[in-house]
Amino acid sequence: VNPFAKVLLCTTSLLAAIVVLPPAILASVDPTTVYARAYALLAAEPYVKKGFQVREDYWAGDLASGERKAVRQQLFKGNEYWFWLGTEVDRAKVSVHIYNSDGELAEQPDSWAKSHLAAAHIIPKTTGSYFIIVSVEESPAARTHWALAYGFR
Amino acid sequence: MVLSSKRLNSMVAAVFGVALCAHGAQAPQHLNINQLSTTVEDVVVPLPNELFGALNKLGAVNWKEHVRSDKEANFTERPRIALLLGTVIADGFIAVQAEDAPAVKDIGQRVLALAKGIGVGNSITPHAKAIIDAADKRNWANVRQELDRTQNSVQQAMNEVHDEKLSQLVSLGGWLRGTEVLTSVVKQHFSEDGAELLHQPDLLTYFQTRLQTMSEFNLPIVHQIQDALAEVKPLINIGNARISAESVKKVNEITTRLGNDIIKKG
Repeated sequence: VNPFAKVLLCTTSLLAAIVVLPPAILASVDPTTVYARAYALLAAEPYVKKGFQVREDYWAGDLASGERKAVRQQLFKGNEYWFWLGTEVDRAKVSVHIYNSDGELAEQPDSWAKSHLAAAHIIPKTTGSYFIIVSVEESPAARTHWALAYGFR
Repeated sequence: MVLSSKRLNSMVAAVFGVALCAHGAQAPQHLNINQLSTTVEDVVVPLPNELFGALNKLGAVNWKEHVRSDKEANFTERPRIALLLGTVIADGFIAVQAEDAPAVKDIGQRVLALAKGIGVGNSITPHAKAIIDAADKRNWANVRQELDRTQNSVQQAMNEVHDEKLSQLVSLGGWLRGTEVLTSVVKQHFSEDGAELLHQPDLLTYFQTRLQTMSEFNLPIVHQIQDALAEVKPLINIGNARISAESVKKVNEITTRLGNDIIKKG
């Protein structure tokens, strides 16, 4: 695929991600959160094709550069999960990592971070609570909006 | 929704950038979670089919025997309707597991009726239609997605009118029904891995905490659930120890009793 076609394809996907947002969310949520979630859904798109069901529920917030936030989530052994983080802020770098309840890094090595987007992959060894750590590593904005979605199969 | 051209250009540049550069995802091997405790947000309640998916991987489950056909009573109290709505959505996920199209279609109608009863019917109508259409086509992935959207839309609509407590009761109803079915399956063919799926102490604490703030819902069913959760907690909150077959059986008795109380007048 040539670069232009790739950009066109990705943009179409992003627009589609925004369009599928529930109307209630569009009506009630800060537009920056809508864009941040659209980026998170953009990151999720290739995984949907691999059979991951993306949850409608998501987390959102804003962080200063260098700040991080922990989100606690119940995961089940036997399932496979991806967590996708997105932000709309240009030139921001974000990351997401998963730790078990003992504070040990629990994610798979194919977790990744690429400018506006980051994703963490886990195949839980035990059923229980895990901590998803969301970070804004660098950002030109005073506060960087983020949205975190997840999917499972 | 209309995107500004500046915003669109920014997104195109960002997406293009993704293809060109990637920064490392270095993370410390260990983190002191307690230091982060002030920033931890509320628990997001897993969908019943997250649980059922994990259960399915442990061995074949006869989902058809868990599809519920008895009709629930008509309630006028909104907290009761909210609990029931969560239960019926969970029943939808069970019917999908069983690939029972008539049951799924029936559940689509019941969800719509309950949503109307609680004043959020408008936001559910398109989802109910999509559930029925997808069931007709036996497109189970779409039915699952629409059930999730239904629950999300109900809760969004409730949150918008500051009915967050009712929204939490929807989640609680679904969790109780999911736990009832999980324990029923594991009780029949006990395995340690199956029992481990009950290890959800933080979720249980979350529901207990929420129920404590619902003093205005002075209904017997709410008190019964509070008592039941207090009974269940020591059975599943056992640290690194294994959850026993006896505990699974006990949790099943408790959640089955509650399930009957939620759908019937009493």
